[in-house]
Amino acid sequence: MRERIDELLAAARTELAQAGSDEAIEAWRVTHLGRRSALTGILRSIRELPPEERRAAGQAANAARQALEEALAAHRDQLSRRADESDTDVTMPGYPVRLGRLHPLTRTLREIRAVFAPLGFRAVSGPEVEWDRYNFELLNIPADHPARDMWDTFHLQQQARPGDLLLRTHTSPVQARVMEQVRPPVRVIVPGKVYRYENRDASHESEFMQVEGLAIDERITMADLRGTLTHFVRAMFGPDRELRIRASYFPFTEPSAEAEMSCHACDGGGCSVCGGSGWIEILGAGMVHPTVLANVGYDPGVYQGFAFGMGVERIAMLKYGVTDIRSFYRNDLRFLRQFH
Amino acid sequence: MRVPYEWLCELSGVGAPVDEVARRLTDAGFEVAEIHRAGEHWDRVVVGEVVRIDPHPNADRLNLPTVTTGDSEIQVVCGAWNFAVGDKIAFAHEGARLWDAYSDEPRLRELKPTKIRGVASRGMLCSNRELGLSDDHEGILILDPDAPLGRPLTEVLGDEVIEFELKANRPDALSVLGIAREAAALFGTEVRSPIPAARASNGEPWPSVALHIDDPALCARYSAAFVRDVQVAESPTWLRKRLELAGMRPINTIVDVTNYVMLETGQPLHAFDWDTIRGGLIGVRTASSGERLVTLDGQDRELTAETLCIVDGEGPVALAGVMGGLATEVTDATSTVLLESATFDPVSIRRTAHRLALRSEASRRFEKGLPPELTEPALRRCVQLIEAIGAGRGEFLSGDAYPAPSTPEPVSLQFDRIERLMGLAYERAEVRRALEALAFSVTESGDLLHVQPPFWRRDVTTPADVVEEVARLLGYDRIPNTLPTGGVTDTVPGELDPREDELRDVMVGLGFSECVTYALTSEARLAHLVPPELLDADPETPLGDPETWETVHRSAMNDAGRALTKRLLPLHRAPLQIRNPLSSDESTLRLTGLATMLETLRANRRHTDRDLLLFECQPTFLPREDDLPEEPLLLTAVIGERLSAGRWDETATIELPFVRGVADEVLARSGVDTSTVSHDAVQHPTFAAGQAVGVTRSGRTLAAYGAIEPDVAAAYDLDERAWALLVDVGAVWKASAGPSSFTPWSEYPAALRDVAVVVDEGVAQAEVLETIQRAGRPLLASVRMFDEYRGEQIAPGKRSLAYALSYAAPDRTLTDKQADKAHNRVVRALQHRLGAELRG
Repeated sequence: MRERIDELLAAARTELAQAGSDEAIEAWRVTHLGRRSALTGILRSIRELPPEERRAAGQAANAARQALEEALAAHRDQLSRRADESDTDVTMPGYPVRLGRLHPLTRTLREIRAVFAPLGFRAVSGPEVEWDRYNFELLNIPADHPARDMWDTFHLQQQARPGDLLLRTHTSPVQARVMEQVRPPVRVIVPGKVYRYENRDASHESEFMQVEGLAIDERITMADLRGTLTHFVRAMFGPDRELRIRASYFPFTEPSAEAEMSCHACDGGGCSVCGGSGWIEILGAGMVHPTVLANVGYDPGVYQGFAFGMGVERIAMLKYGVTDIRSFYRNDLRFLRQFH
Repeated sequence: MRVPYEWLCELSGVGAPVDEVARRLTDAGFEVAEIHRAGEHWDRVVVGEVVRIDPHPNADRLNLPTVTTGDSEIQVVCGAWNFAVGDKIAFAHEGARLWDAYSDEPRLRELKPTKIRGVASRGMLCSNRELGLSDDHEGILILDPDAPLGRPLTEVLGDEVIEFELKANRPDALSVLGIAREAAALFGTEVRSPIPAARASNGEPWPSVALHIDDPALCARYSAAFVRDVQVAESPTWLRKRLELAGMRPINTIVDVTNYVMLETGQPLHAFDWDTIRGGLIGVRTASSGERLVTLDGQDRELTAETLCIVDGEGPVALAGVMGGLATEVTDATSTVLLESATFDPVSIRRTAHRLALRSEASRRFEKGLPPELTEPALRRCVQLIEAIGAGRGEFLSGDAYPAPSTPEPVSLQFDRIERLMGLAYERAEVRRALEALAFSVTESGDLLHVQPPFWRRDVTTPADVVEEVARLLGYDRIPNTLPTGGVTDTVPGELDPREDELRDVMVGLGFSECVTYALTSEARLAHLVPPELLDADPETPLGDPETWETVHRSAMNDAGRALTKRLLPLHRAPLQIRNPLSSDESTLRLTGLATMLETLRANRRHTDRDLLLFECQPTFLPREDDLPEEPLLLTAVIGERLSAGRWDETATIELPFVRGVADEVLARSGVDTSTVSHDAVQHPTFAAGQAVGVTRSGRTLAAYGAIEPDVAAAYDLDERAWALLVDVGAVWKASAGPSSFTPWSEYPAALRDVAVVVDEGVAQAEVLETIQRAGRPLLASVRMFDEYRGEQIAPGKRSLAYALSYAAPDRTLTDKQADKAHNRVVRALQHRLGAELRG
């Protein structure tokens, strides 16, 4: 009897596993648990057994019936779960879980800092409202010097000493502030906001960001300047970039240079990004003028070094293909969210 | 500076293509802004002559000129009237490409046959603008009567012009000769100087002039020459063409030649009608107060004691280096001219030109500092040219006041200084050649180079200047790429705090997008932060007199609100004013970031209706007496009304605890122990009543947050509620416990208990929490509020607060009994100290 029940159970389980539809499952139920099923037959036939066997056989048959009912329920469950799973539309959008975005200028500034940090350049900041002395005089741009025309300046209204306070026109005053406080070697970069009395258009802003660089020691050369800037353009715009420098003029550097990189958009072939020339102006630079060194108390016979300055918006515009500099200050989320 | 290329070639002897010349000059520091190629597109434009002008049958404002090009006559419709029969004009045939005179962007358009008001037009009479010669579109261009009929216009007007963007340090480069010197040095050619050798006066009796310089510091040299039998007429075509190409308008023979010589040599010249000069005397002095002069532009100007002027025997006749006087101007009636060629103090000229807003070609040159050696050669050239074009006869030099002659100082430098600065070894011979090509004379003694700059290179005064000359002439492309060696800086004052980066990252992690707004704003814009009824009526001071303003506001503020006016919202303070603002909207430096951030919220509201979470981390500007302003770094976050609530279409309304959650996270991530700060209700006119909180620690304000006062929000078109969080970043960093430090926790399982208590509305949550924390010591490991309830099951005037507590011991598992004992102590404390009833 016991063997017979075990056989029935095994066969029923095997059949159940193959019952894939509701009809098949119902047929299986009728076959194995219905009134005419073998198991029911066994249960009915128990009374015909000798009394000493009845109890054990009854228990075994009932246990088998319970096992089959549980198996049936589990099987139905599994099938319906499978059905649920195949109903899931995996293309449904995610619930809104949103990080914010860093401003593209912050991202660009961080990238620039990350290029210079391994070269030993510390990032420092300085005041945006400056004395004329730091913005101009210490940088070898005395009052009434025609070079002052290079920077259209916002002046502050002031009772006591008119004309002395201004909005810094470049981050260069921080050069002087740092050198006044630190003995060489000095390697710093200075990110920050600068101001120009200039009407806004797609390529001009009256408020924008600059990064200044300064390296002073006994043996820092123009070749070091060129190497540093070459490293910079390759780190920012890819290893194939070339840097070229051309003679220029800034009152606080001598010799002075204008640096251009081969266009990253056309690889130097000429396109709309580089105005067809294959080259893109990215920064001004030079060897710090001996007068500037002397002004901050460095001996120009002993110390020398380079300085450079670049517009952060310009770098960001080139990197991200932004065509209007004013976009950075409109803070439109449709703009901000594009910088992942 | 616009340099006609053919002129440059003539003086430099360079014959290379214009593009190559432009590139090499740019590399050497003479930046070419643009190469203008007049005539590049003129393939169907020829010299024509007007043979007849008929009226247009259907339009009074148009006419119908008939033009001959020699072999055919063509009638066109024309809107200009500045021509007559017999005039030579630039005639564009159909198919010619012309600049669109009515487009803002430069654009070439092909000329097509057309009908204008019913009359066919098969060509066009061109204006300067359509030909790309200048912006002039007032009338059509009238050509020289000698222009050959039917020939291409390029033969008459076509030329290439290089436009340089010149630097402030090279006054010599403001001349064709100066640029020719550079080009010759770069291309290894010989400069062909146009300046004639000196010559003796021909024995005839010339008038004589007494020259007097008051202060040689203001006028180093004054040279003069007479020209008589002056013929004031139109200059010859070649001269007018060069002037026009260089961007100057031809006037008459005498004025044109002085301008021509200025363009050529860099020395501005002025011509006086000698017969109008009183007393046979020319002097240079500053004006006495009260003196007046009617200048060439017809303006009667009062002169200040700062103004350097040219005087005759009786008074001022010209503003030195800036503008001549009307009374002594050369006219058609002039027969004798005195030419002035002088060296004025650059600072004086610059100040006068700026003060009078009269910046001319002459003043631009003077203010860069001209060499006194140049006055006399320029006079010679000027007289020679006047004679060459038959405009008079002159002396090369009739008078010369040069009280203190000076020459540029020689510069000495160690030869290896060049390598030390450049990081590149040069040959001694090539260094010499480079300097000599630029007209420096070089002598050597041992390791020393003695370099004597030519008179026109007074900008070269230091060894570094000499190094630059060598480097740029031999080419920056030779400089190798190396990286700096030697020591690096360990710390520098003013270093960027890395926590600033972290703060931004925290805000981004909390869902906020970063903005950078302008620092320049206006009092009127700042005034939007204050409800209108509290503002002063005076439009001149929209924020009102600071003191009155404060008095008014004190009534609207409590102590916590007043604390915000120190740094977070110092609206009552007078902001720093810009003396020369671009617009009245940008006339002051901001006192807070809130105004521009609410403006940003408004702008974004137009296209986004939820999840408007914005922040900015920028300085504000707080004025200080006789010092730079304080520039505290402020974090300003603004939040629109609704937030996505986790499911697609659901939004949640922002409530105060959301903003506090942001504030708590910012403080916690900045290292502030948030259990040590207190949050107090703020009354401040910018914030909505009962919906604003100030965060302080040890009496110092760290932050404030809350809902914007509805009237203020309405001023920003924010019809729903807007929220703001303001953080004084420096104060938060000061309140920080420093770098993170590890505290171990109990490894034994914690016993969890919940408690819900009903308390009076007057009892603050902070009191309940503090009571739990005190009574729970030492086993209470953590406590968290998880529910607030008011409603049917609670008596009016009361609310229920529910907390989840966790008890643990550091060294053992707590038994239920021990945990219950600790928890009962908490419950009893709540009952006894706060009169709380247990709920549920």
